[in-house]
Amino acid sequence: MMHQHPRTASKVASSVPVLRIGAVGKQFGATKVLEKCSLDVDEGEIVTLLGPSGCGKTTLLRCIAGFLDADQGDVRIDGQDMGPIPVNRRPVGVVFQSYALFPHMTVARNVAYALKMQGIRGAEADRRVAGALATVSLQDFGDRYPSQLSGGQQQRVAIARVLVMEPRVLLLDEPFNALDAKLRSSMQVELRQLIKRLGLTAIFVTHDQEEALTMSDRIAIMRAGRIEQAAPPDEIFDYPATAYVADFIGTSNFWKASAAGGTVPLPDGQRRQTEHSGDVQIMARPHNLKLAEPEAGEWRGHVQFHRTIGALIEYHVETSDGVLLQVATMRQERAAPFDDGAAVSLHIIDPTYCAVYPAS
Amino acid sequence: MTALRKYSLGDIFGVGLIFAVGLFTLLLLVAPSIIVVIISFDTRAFVSFPPEGFTLRWYAEVFQQGELVEAMANSLQVGLTVTVLCILLGVPTALACARGRFKGTTALSVFVLVPHMVPGIVLGVAVLFAGALVGVSPSIWLQSISITVFILAVMVRTVQSRLVRLDPALEEAAANLRATPFQSLRTVTFPLLMPAILAGAVFTFVEGFDNLSVAIFTHGFRDRPLPVELLALVQYTSSPLVAAVSGVQIVLAIAALIAVSLSIGLDNVNE
Repeated sequence: MMHQHPRTASKVASSVPVLRIGAVGKQFGATKVLEKCSLDVDEGEIVTLLGPSGCGKTTLLRCIAGFLDADQGDVRIDGQDMGPIPVNRRPVGVVFQSYALFPHMTVARNVAYALKMQGIRGAEADRRVAGALATVSLQDFGDRYPSQLSGGQQQRVAIARVLVMEPRVLLLDEPFNALDAKLRSSMQVELRQLIKRLGLTAIFVTHDQEEALTMSDRIAIMRAGRIEQAAPPDEIFDYPATAYVADFIGTSNFWKASAAGGTVPLPDGQRRQTEHSGDVQIMARPHNLKLAEPEAGEWRGHVQFHRTIGALIEYHVETSDGVLLQVATMRQERAAPFDDGAAVSLHIIDPTYCAVYPAS
Repeated sequence: MTALRKYSLGDIFGVGLIFAVGLFTLLLLVAPSIIVVIISFDTRAFVSFPPEGFTLRWYAEVFQQGELVEAMANSLQVGLTVTVLCILLGVPTALACARGRFKGTTALSVFVLVPHMVPGIVLGVAVLFAGALVGVSPSIWLQSISITVFILAVMVRTVQSRLVRLDPALEEAAANLRATPFQSLRTVTFPLLMPAILAGAVFTFVEGFDNLSVAIFTHGFRDRPLPVELLALVQYTSSPLVAAVSGVQIVLAIAALIAVSLSIGLDNVNE
């Protein structure tokens, strides 16, 4: 193992997270870019900041790295307040969207840069550079210049360049943006495995939900400067905390309903418990709905369009009151699907798996 | 055959036109220099074209005339001084204009440009009077400083435009990789600015060496620079001697350009 991270040595009480973002706020002029963002990241955890452009995810990353100062709140690493610590003393390593490799230096000199700046030279520096390059399988590329490498190789140099200084937290700003789609997904899996193997704590920034689902132990969904929900990918998908999260991640069906007395009626005749009352909206994932013959239920509609995607059939159904829904069912061998235009009844498979949100 | 078919007659005509215009422009730019060089080898003692013979006599004479050699040395000194001053003043100014977070960065970059907009003669006269006011008489140093003021904008603009095109993430990366602001400047920013600084150095050196309009008012009485010496020469004589001096200058200029393009080493500076 080439990378002996000082994690075990410097580990404080297990209750202190590696990274604690405490109610961080940031304004640019009159615009609030971040508002009371709080997030704890544990040892060895990969957390993704996910949201559309302009949601503040990159600003939050830059506050952690120290390129920006937070106006409110604090960023702590191993319990230490990073506020007074300048950029070049923070124990973080940043992988930039553009990789920002130094074009006038060879790969080896790029990787050795952080060591040189700290006055580490000679045999130790050589050993650590070789170790970092081996970690990303670029041991034979030390003499090349960045412009002589492919996009994927450049990304690995950018990673090796920060690994060599053994950061406590790895920060990655949309690191796959510069790669073509084909390379992207294989690099995602590779990078996750590498980070896990090294036991690093990492924060990813992305606007691509598939990338977030692939990479993360936990996803923090951001919207207009706030963190809407931070949870493991499955939990985000299954139990989205807000309608926004449900809409942002995966496909979701929404319809309006009225709750009273602790329950809300579902259109197929079932009921679901809820703490909300009055006007609400209900969300169901396409695979929590199923279709049957029209006479089998009271929630009716007709198939607008359907297509088969491998083992899955995707139906677009318009209900009798004009709501468009998506239904996904596993394809049964030899069973004929409902044709376009067919009258159907809709059923909710598991009412507890529906989410109830206050009407927006 | 297939390659030819891709182009219509109009395309061929268009390309031909562009080629012709380019060739004409090139001729316009190069022809005077070529004619001067040809004249400098003429055997006759007056300037005329076409030449009637071939001799190196004028070149020998250039180096035998004490005033000319001295003027060349003076201009060389001015050129080098202007270059050094422009690097020392221009690079930090460009950094301040492009990276500064204080108010007035725009004002600063306009302010630097102003002396360059003023006609050189006006600047020269102004420096002469201002110098007289504070008791500084014309000298090789006053000449160097006034040409520096005149040409500083070129260095600032050249470096600034390169700075603006540099990925700001490069300097952030250096900071993240434990570099202090000064280390980042020395190891990342300066090396990447080098091509621009060298290009600026060539421009400012040529101006320092060749400037007449500012120099004519500010040069020292005993330290005549080459352009002033040449002006005097063409006023009173019309021998191909002047052409020979120009020939020497042309050779020097070409040598400098070759040296620069070799030292920048275009392969390592691409972004």
